[in-house]
Amino acid sequence: MSDLPLDGVRVVDLSWIIAGPTATRFMAAMGAEVIKVGSGRRPDPSTRGPAFQAYNQSKLYCALNISSPEGLELVKQLIAVSDVVIENFAVGVIDRLGLSYEAASAARPDIIMVSSSGTGHFGPHKDYVAYGSLLQHYTGWNSISGNPGGEPVPGGLWADPWVGMELAMVTAAALNNRALTGQGQYIDFSMAEALTAGIPGAILDYQMNHRVPEPMGNRDARYAPHGVYHCVGADRWVAIAVTNDEEWQSLCAVIQRPDLAVDPRFDNADGRRKHQEKLDAAITQWTSLLEDHEATRRLQETGVPSGPSLDICRVFNESQLREVGYINQIQTRDGELRELPGLPWRFEGGEEPIFTEAPILGQHNEYVYQELLGLSEHETNRLVEEQIIY
Amino acid sequence: MVAGLLPGVRVLDVGQGISAPYCAKILAQMGAEVIKVEPLEGDEARRMGPFPSDSPHPEKSGLFLAMNANKYGVSLDLASPDGAEAFKGLAAGADIVVENPPPGSLEAHGLGYETLKTINPGLIFTSVTPFGNRGPYKYFKATDLVLYHMSGHAHGLLGAVENPDSNPPIRAGGHQAELVGGMAAATATLMALYRKRITGKGCRIDISSFEAMVNQLISGLANCAYGRPAPPRDARKVEEAAAAGMVSAIGGILPCNDGYVAISPREDVQWERWLGVMDNPAWATEERYSTRDARQKNSPALWKLLSEWSSNYSKHEIARWGQEQRIPCFPVNTVLDLFNDDQLAHREFFVEIEHPAAGALKYPGAAYKFSNTGLPLAARPAPLLGEHNESILEKLE
Repeated sequence: MSDLPLDGVRVVDLSWIIAGPTATRFMAAMGAEVIKVGSGRRPDPSTRGPAFQAYNQSKLYCALNISSPEGLELVKQLIAVSDVVIENFAVGVIDRLGLSYEAASAARPDIIMVSSSGTGHFGPHKDYVAYGSLLQHYTGWNSISGNPGGEPVPGGLWADPWVGMELAMVTAAALNNRALTGQGQYIDFSMAEALTAGIPGAILDYQMNHRVPEPMGNRDARYAPHGVYHCVGADRWVAIAVTNDEEWQSLCAVIQRPDLAVDPRFDNADGRRKHQEKLDAAITQWTSLLEDHEATRRLQETGVPSGPSLDICRVFNESQLREVGYINQIQTRDGELRELPGLPWRFEGGEEPIFTEAPILGQHNEYVYQELLGLSEHETNRLVEEQIIY
Repeated sequence: MVAGLLPGVRVLDVGQGISAPYCAKILAQMGAEVIKVEPLEGDEARRMGPFPSDSPHPEKSGLFLAMNANKYGVSLDLASPDGAEAFKGLAAGADIVVENPPPGSLEAHGLGYETLKTINPGLIFTSVTPFGNRGPYKYFKATDLVLYHMSGHAHGLLGAVENPDSNPPIRAGGHQAELVGGMAAATATLMALYRKRITGKGCRIDISSFEAMVNQLISGLANCAYGRPAPPRDARKVEEAAAAGMVSAIGGILPCNDGYVAISPREDVQWERWLGVMDNPAWATEERYSTRDARQKNSPALWKLLSEWSSNYSKHEIARWGQEQRIPCFPVNTVLDLFNDDQLAHREFFVEIEHPAAGALKYPGAAYKFSNTGLPLAARPAPLLGEHNESILEKLE
């Protein structure tokens, strides 16, 4: 027995690509036994390349063709001994496979079934074909991101990871309720709604002021100075956000501009916002002679919120992530020791989360079919030959 | 009265601004009883806006109202002996305390986890700070802007640009880094609460918003672990990468007569159907557009042709035609479009709550529906400052 929060929870993971596997990665690291069920007939696109290691850490992986009648029967047997089922197929697919909530809860009455889709599982546009990047446009999320007056931004990778964490959250909420009431749930999750829920300020601004909020780049409606400032080197920047008058005074001292500190035009945020181009130029004079980390160090020493604007490889090398143990060394099957991501939280004094190498398809067939479901070796072999376990 | 999933769970929200209050908001909409503990001058979010007519008013800040709906509210001076006593009284009966101070500041008032767990050994104590209670950046100050940039997200938001040195990376709108910190806190806290139900054990949880943001990019981190370079921000380098077959998604934004539409007919079958939507233009048969790879390599010219066509129609029209042919495409919506969206309306996503000072407003609801349990999404408006001092604090004595 481990001391991890989800110890004893078994998850049947029918999900694929990014959002669902991200959710079950959190659960697996926190102690749940996550059994990823997939098939060579239609491999999970996320199992290609290095991303495979990130999204599928700490899971078990069995092969099963659930579109065959015997495969369907086996997955139902697996659900019967599990706590959670999660899937993120297009709307309707899981029902056509014969694995609706009705079917799953017939196999296990208190099952928690999590279904995630682009726009949710009912409503006039439930069948809309969606990718996370497109949903960022549909949901208004990108409408407040970008440079003022510019074209809509591509938007980076946001929807799937954001939804992935929220799916883990709703699963934990449902597990709490089941522990209290003995009752399972079907959870209808809309990725689009998760993104729209992430822009409450814009939604309320529209209602309060009858205006459609527009992107502000690095600017802020309230604080100034607020932006990124060029440092030594190509495409190197330090982000600085002055959130009060005290920080403004500290900034003036660091950049050695006592004249700005006593200028009454810059006494408060409103004044500084009005003159922000001028202030930006003064700050850039100072930052342009420094490396981004060095500028950050000097600013932080006097309490000015700041940090370098990093690409992902520089993030990967940040001392903070390494010293706190966010990056873990894991031996992967190619024989290399890889530095892979961990979890953004610590349960102090508790057991460390579990991180093992991502599995390959079929690696845990024997455990799942023979140990858990009690099939004989002979029977398992037959199912492999008939491409049911496949 | 809708019970929600967490009946009987009591939460103290000692947070300010967004991260910890967002965690507590999630717990409230799941059905926990959340008591917001504000300093006498009120939560920082009361000064953040947006405000009606842009006039600051502590009871009308949009962000405060959204982050704190469905909570009760008390105001306490934690630096005073009476305030500290009252807080301890509340903590004695709580399952969860959520805070987001600079590291250690509740401790400075003698109200840190070590103190509270002697009163309440099963307590779950969740701290959300920019970098967590650990590491060389433990005392660094950071805002949403700083975290968005430091975590690698700003680098990817604009995609590739012509001249990176004059077109810097930018942050996304809203307060995404703080929301992610709050979501990570809610996820970890609910897992801890589940353990508490099984084992009776409480714990202290330390959340780093920076790590929560970084954790949104685990596939990028894994690429680094395999020695791959970061995606370039310089458009010229992207062209080189595309020529080497490294950029694979085909999708983007097309101008329309009323805005933009985002499309991604990336698979060959989708592309065929997309051509049908466009009435099979003559250029489509040219070799340079005939395969996915060819389209990728010639995407600037291709995108120009697509734009000439799309400019004649509205974004909603094109999105509908595309979706009728099962092509991934959506209008680029503004906030205004969201209020006219049939899908969101049908699913009753927006939740109207009447507030005594700010009036009736529609708030974003929950992205999830539980088949067997309703959620109390509109149980009460965000509390007025000190609104429940009498009913809650006096009960303690």
